[in-house]
Amino acid sequence: MDFDNSKPIYLQIAEVFYENILEKRWKEEERIPSVREIAMLVEVNPNTAIRAFNHLQDLEVIYNKRGIGYFVAKKGFSKVMEIKRKEFMEHTLPDVFKKMNMMNIPLEELINAFNQEKNEKE
Amino acid sequence: MAKEFDISRIVQFIKRDVTLLKGSIVTGLLVSSILLFLFCLFNMAWDKKLSADEFFGCFSLCYFPLGVLYTYAICREFQNPKLNHTYLSLPVSTQERITAKWLNAYLLYTLGFSLLAITVGMFAMIVGTIIFRADFTITSLFSTNYWNVVFLYFFVQPIFLVGALSFTKNRIGKTLLVLGVLFIGFLIFNFICFGLLNHDFGIFSGESTGSLAFDKASKDFSLFGRWFYGLIFGPLMLLVAYYKIKEKEV
Amino acid sequence: MLNCKQLQFNYPKSRPILKSVDLNFGSGNIYGLFGKNGEGKSTLMKLVCGLLTPEFGYCTLFGESTHARSVQTLKDLFFIPEDFELPALPIYTFEKINSVFYPNFSREHFYTLIEEFRLYRKQDISKLSFGQKKKVLIAFGLATNTPLLLLDEPTNGLDIPSKSQFRKILASSINEDKCIIISTHQVRDLHSLIDHMVILDNAQVIFNQSLSTVSDALWFGRPSKENESEVLFSESTFGGRVILNREFQEESEVDLELLFNGVLSNPEKINSILKN
Repeated sequence: MDFDNSKPIYLQIAEVFYENILEKRWKEEERIPSVREIAMLVEVNPNTAIRAFNHLQDLEVIYNKRGIGYFVAKKGFSKVMEIKRKEFMEHTLPDVFKKMNMMNIPLEELINAFNQEKNEKE
Repeated sequence: MAKEFDISRIVQFIKRDVTLLKGSIVTGLLVSSILLFLFCLFNMAWDKKLSADEFFGCFSLCYFPLGVLYTYAICREFQNPKLNHTYLSLPVSTQERITAKWLNAYLLYTLGFSLLAITVGMFAMIVGTIIFRADFTITSLFSTNYWNVVFLYFFVQPIFLVGALSFTKNRIGKTLLVLGVLFIGFLIFNFICFGLLNHDFGIFSGESTGSLAFDKASKDFSLFGRWFYGLIFGPLMLLVAYYKIKEKEV
Repeated sequence: MLNCKQLQFNYPKSRPILKSVDLNFGSGNIYGLFGKNGEGKSTLMKLVCGLLTPEFGYCTLFGESTHARSVQTLKDLFFIPEDFELPALPIYTFEKINSVFYPNFSREHFYTLIEEFRLYRKQDISKLSFGQKKKVLIAFGLATNTPLLLLDEPTNGLDIPSKSQFRKILASSINEDKCIIISTHQVRDLHSLIDHMVILDNAQVIFNQSLSTVSDALWFGRPSKENESEVLFSESTFGGRVILNREFQEESEVDLELLFNGVLSNPEKINSILKN
């Protein structure tokens, strides 16, 4: 795994989890790889991997069945959706607005671009 | 607590050395048995027999140099700066290391080489009786001379062991040099002691009684000296070797 | 589990290599040992293994001095030096004659690692490249299962795919009972594995912190207008990254290289922030 330099690695690992859950590679109530397996897969210290697991457990995305392993929570998918939405609204959008301001891009242009993209897909 | 002196670990350590030196051991034994065989044949060509003296003369001619080479070979890893980190951090205590080295380079080597020498000697005799019609004297292979040679090696070997553990380059040459200097030193020391203690007898004046005493004393001393050097010097050198291993740094 | 007390060392006729070094290493961590060339990283490792005699002070492993090189301490540690030779034997013979001395050696683990490194058991070690020899020794060292593992520049001589394999293997080897100490110049090779940083400079330990403490107190990244004045250390390159007091900012990943340079340029400043 390639790490972005600024974000803590444990959060970057969490991103991979989100991706897997959103793309339904990891389904709800399904077992996910162990801490050790993840640490090995992404080549990090297991302590860092544990941090990622604990973080996701606190967010109720995954849960731990003692002695068996970690599973995607019953409402894991919607939880991730919620987290990502919040992130988009709170981080990505303000960033976009800031750039729009800087470059004097009116909102209409953005709406046009959005509609054009939608039409092309259809 | 782990045991610091464990027989099975010593056996494993010897096995390790033998495995590492397998190639050198085979070559060394092969070359020396051919040499021994030729020496024996030349001896028989001369007087059509191989006496015990002659056989053990040939025997020592191969036994000592090969033994010294073997002693140096089993200490190679100890001296090589690229090998000795792993070697010295192997979980084997210093007592076990020195015991294994000695058992290997003295006892095992003597046992192995003796068996080989007897076989080669016997073979040489058979060939000798066929070619030169020499006498077949199997008793020559088993005599007290053998014990003298082995006993002599008993105190020579630890000296070379210390040499092998002390010097990093030109190990054999340096050991021989030190040995030569020590030998001359001892000679002078003994001579002076003898002269001082027996000054009254006028041993240096050339009187016949004086030189007679000199001969007698040197004979007595050689017996005493042999025991001294054999029983004290050998183990003493082993003790020195022990501290050489213990204090080795990389 | 490993304690160094007032460790002092110098080679004959040279300036001190280590002056009164105090360090404690605990299990469950991967320690990164950093320092400029010749600042005593390898010396410290050799002292820990008992391969050198300290001028003053001592090292203990589980309370036993390592200097005596007793079986008791040696069975609990394995050292992989930077430069070494291996005997000209097939890999399985090498394993056989050396593994008997390590009570917790796992033959199965060794051959799994050998396979992962794309080597095979009958290969003659004398025909391997230096990098491959290093893999053999690394595999052996990990398979000994000793509580303490010391690696001096382990990624030197490894090619790019092997470095990744090495990280995977190391990540899978660490557990609560093990302590791994790695000295390296190649910070980028191992930054995702190290969770505790020790920096040696001028023969002394000038920095000794777990990375979780560091990431709690410091922030690493590109500066913005607002925080330009609070910069603790900045790279001299244009648009370089900086170290800031974290305060209420979001957590950032510790940039080991930046931290190393920052500590070297002003150790007191950064240490004083971490103390609070």
